[in-house]
Amino acid sequence: MKKSWGKILLVLLPIVISLFLLYPTYKASNLEKLKQRYLEEAKKAKNPSDSLAIIEKFDKQYGKELLDAKANRIKLGLDLRGGMYVTLEVDVLKMIEESAQRDAIDDIFQEVLEKTRKDAQTSDEDIVDIFKRNFDQIARPKRKFLSDYFDFGGEALATEDKIIEKLKENAKESIDQALQVIRQRVDKYGISEPTIQKIGQRRILLELPGVTNETEMRQLLQTTARLEFKLVRNDENLVAAFYKIDEYLKKEKQISKNNQNLPSIPSDTSIKEKQLVSADTSKTESSDTTLATKGTDTTKAGEKADTTDPYKGLSQEEKSRRYLEDHPFTTLFITNYMPPNGERTQYQRDVRFYNASQVPKGEYSFEIFQDVWNKFEAILKRKEVRALLPYDVEILPGAKPEIIKDNKGKEYKILSFYGLKRDPELTGEVITDAVATYDPTTNQPIVTMSMNSDGAERWAKITGANIKKRIAIVLDNLVYSAPVVQQKIVGGNSQITGMSSPEEAKLLKIVLKAGALKAPVQIVEERIVGPSLGEDSIQKGIQSLLLAALLVLLFMVAYYSVAGLYANIAVLINVLLIVGIMAAFQGTLSLPGIAGIILTVGMAVDANVLIYERIREELEKGRSMKSAIDEGFSKALSAILDSNITTFITGLILYFFGTGPIQGFAMTLMIGIITTLFTAILISKALFQITLNMGATNISFGQPKSVKA
Amino acid sequence: MQFFKKPNIEFIANRKKFLILSGILIASSIILILVFGFRYGIDFTGGTEIAIKVEKNLETNELRKLLSNAKINPDEIKSYGEKNQFLLRLKETGEAANKIESALLTTLKDYNVQILKKDTIGPKIGAEIRVQAFIAVILSIIAMLIYIGLRFEFPFGFGAVIALVHDVIFTLGMIIVFDRLNIINLEINQGVLAALLTVVGYSVNDTVIIFDRIRENREKLKGIPFAKVANISINETLSRTIITVLTVLLVLIVMVFLSGPVLQGFAFTMTVGVIVGTYSSIFIATPYVLWYLKKVKKINVEADISKETVTAKA
Repeated sequence: MKKSWGKILLVLLPIVISLFLLYPTYKASNLEKLKQRYLEEAKKAKNPSDSLAIIEKFDKQYGKELLDAKANRIKLGLDLRGGMYVTLEVDVLKMIEESAQRDAIDDIFQEVLEKTRKDAQTSDEDIVDIFKRNFDQIARPKRKFLSDYFDFGGEALATEDKIIEKLKENAKESIDQALQVIRQRVDKYGISEPTIQKIGQRRILLELPGVTNETEMRQLLQTTARLEFKLVRNDENLVAAFYKIDEYLKKEKQISKNNQNLPSIPSDTSIKEKQLVSADTSKTESSDTTLATKGTDTTKAGEKADTTDPYKGLSQEEKSRRYLEDHPFTTLFITNYMPPNGERTQYQRDVRFYNASQVPKGEYSFEIFQDVWNKFEAILKRKEVRALLPYDVEILPGAKPEIIKDNKGKEYKILSFYGLKRDPELTGEVITDAVATYDPTTNQPIVTMSMNSDGAERWAKITGANIKKRIAIVLDNLVYSAPVVQQKIVGGNSQITGMSSPEEAKLLKIVLKAGALKAPVQIVEERIVGPSLGEDSIQKGIQSLLLAALLVLLFMVAYYSVAGLYANIAVLINVLLIVGIMAAFQGTLSLPGIAGIILTVGMAVDANVLIYERIREELEKGRSMKSAIDEGFSKALSAILDSNITTFITGLILYFFGTGPIQGFAMTLMIGIITTLFTAILISKALFQITLNMGATNISFGQPKSVKA
Repeated sequence: MQFFKKPNIEFIANRKKFLILSGILIASSIILILVFGFRYGIDFTGGTEIAIKVEKNLETNELRKLLSNAKINPDEIKSYGEKNQFLLRLKETGEAANKIESALLTTLKDYNVQILKKDTIGPKIGAEIRVQAFIAVILSIIAMLIYIGLRFEFPFGFGAVIALVHDVIFTLGMIIVFDRLNIINLEINQGVLAALLTVVGYSVNDTVIIFDRIRENREKLKGIPFAKVANISINETLSRTIITVLTVLLVLIVMVFLSGPVLQGFAFTMTVGVIVGTYSSIFIATPYVLWYLKKVKKINVEADISKETVTAKA
């Protein structure tokens, strides 16, 4: 018995290790069931705070445990749990187009792009190379040079070779940036356990479990993100323009009123009227809330100071009504005012004027309820309204609404919006690094960013010319921050202060660092598995695995009797090990993976069959049980090794040339081969030796009786 | 239990008959491939595949009619796995495919339609996968040749490779037969490709077992002609060959019938491949080595086989 201990350990250890590795998977599934029960209970709860409490109770008690278990469990592939599998490719051609100076693009350049687009569909060549060839063929005979279209800053970058080099470099970098932006967007979308990885030079692979709204996801992935620094133009001209919009809308309403009395209405004005009516009703509603929650008499300082009050002598109520009627646009939001050269803390809140001519010089800021924003934006989009705004200014909202509560605890989401100079001063690709940290003296969260030499040079000029003015950091057309320039920044190292929380600083850092997505991406492959097919696949996969295993195990016992039983133990340990190893490497179990395991069960017994047939042969020759077993194992070894290594080689090739699902199959096949070698050779031999050590002189290999004698 | 008690079947002596059989099978497979060609899945052609499930009873023809009334004309509509499940195939990808998808959902609203899965592959990716598949098959064949050439001798390597090419061609031929007869849906997709490569591995695996025995017996039975050694080796390993094929086939047949539409093509391809792989190890790979030794190396491999069979047994 004593000498068997090592062998017993050899058999038991893999079982224990596998079970240990599989425990998190078991635990995670149990905890998720428990969570489901809690959620159901929460649904039944009488009021929302009760149900919230139930969910919080679960999170407090098991939340961390579940998270830990989840991190170490076997993940199910998308084909088993449902979800979306997307391959994105960076659109290098689009990147080339975007890199060119906008006003330089002409028909010749378009022709080159068009030809390149066509060629690229059938070629694997680098798109920049195709572009260069087409440029040489089409544009060069027409005396055009690359430097006519591209300006990467500085004389040194103006040579043709340098431009091509820079384009290639941009193409290469853009994939990493795309990767980061997409990661950020996917995180924001709240998908649990997404897989996002770079494939080769130009592609990103995403696995998004549980995503059902493909349209929304597609938009999220394909929209171009662009980080820009834009000058804030919240000045008197903008506010004056807002009041002109008031006048325009008011006049338009009057015209449509008059037109109603006419016998025939031109179709054009009827459309206008419709827009106006819908816009108007929303305005009165929203401006009412604006006034109710924010408007107070004291904030109307600007109004009181003004002597040209057109509503003089009217009652307060009538004044309000008339003001609302006359200012359908500016009452949608709150305007704050700061006089020129004033201290930034001394904003005058909610200032109001009667018309554009009264707007004083200075700086302004704007706040709007988030639910009013769409209406506000719809008005701004109208061509006639657009024409009233300064031509080089666009209006963009802040990225994150500020949440405030009124006395009753009701939450309001308030957005800031900004008038920005349309052409960016600088785009994000000049940023080399950004760090979220704390100011050592004030202990306030800050973000530091550094720029490359080209960017730093331009940044010095920009900041020098705009001291005490604000520059907005804009990503995906959302303003993330609009810091005030304190001084001319030379060298590119800037510090952004005034963040209210470390989280805000961190977000800004991510925006600065990952925001500059130079090239748009396109979806080149998309696979969606509905949740019902996933469940169906799991069920069928497990059914066939169980049935196949059962048949093989029965056959082995029938054919090899006791020895067959030992082979079966080895096969079962084998399957346990495969799954355990997959859990250890945080592998993903997919349907082809299950196929790989099923196939391994079928093939794993082959090694045992080889050994047993040898042992039978040796027994036939009249050897003793012990020496027959030894001989059988050693003689079968070379055949087992050679046959498994050849299968392993095909597995390797499948793994490197296959994509997604095929790789899963190849992975399990390879793990299966290694575990098969281990279990069939070492474990089953140990089982025989343990039996012999226990004093057995004869183990049945299922051979017919006559032969044994 | 024992299926074969000391088998002594004349595999080698009858090799010419089986060679003719193989010749006919391979020739017809190649003709089938050239005449009918494969149906490639969207993995290789690019395009969109949508699998749907409806709650009410619906026949394929009715569905086709319904869709064509709504001006949706997929290239192909066929049943998918179970009753009331269908697979639609479109040439379109990207936005065009998305539009068709939403039109499809609206048209079949009354049937409680549900999307089971949807695959969209851009034409460029399809072309890439095609190239990669080809490289993978060629590479695996070369790898086998080198490995067996090193572990045994190069004639053995060539024997194994010829056998596996034989297996792949025959399996492809059978794919066309079963697909065209509409017995099972067998377009060439990544799953079938994975199965083909696994067949490559398995075919060699089986061949190696016999070669290993031949190597061992050549040492042991010095002086006995190669043809005889080969035949003894095949007979000695026959029991193992049959049992392993049986266990693998047990598993594969369960998969063909139970594992659902996604894995069916894979399991079927493997089944055909395993059967032909076993056959070719005995009737193609070993006879090739024999032929090579006889014709190229001018070794007398047979030396009156019929007489020696009797004496060796004694």
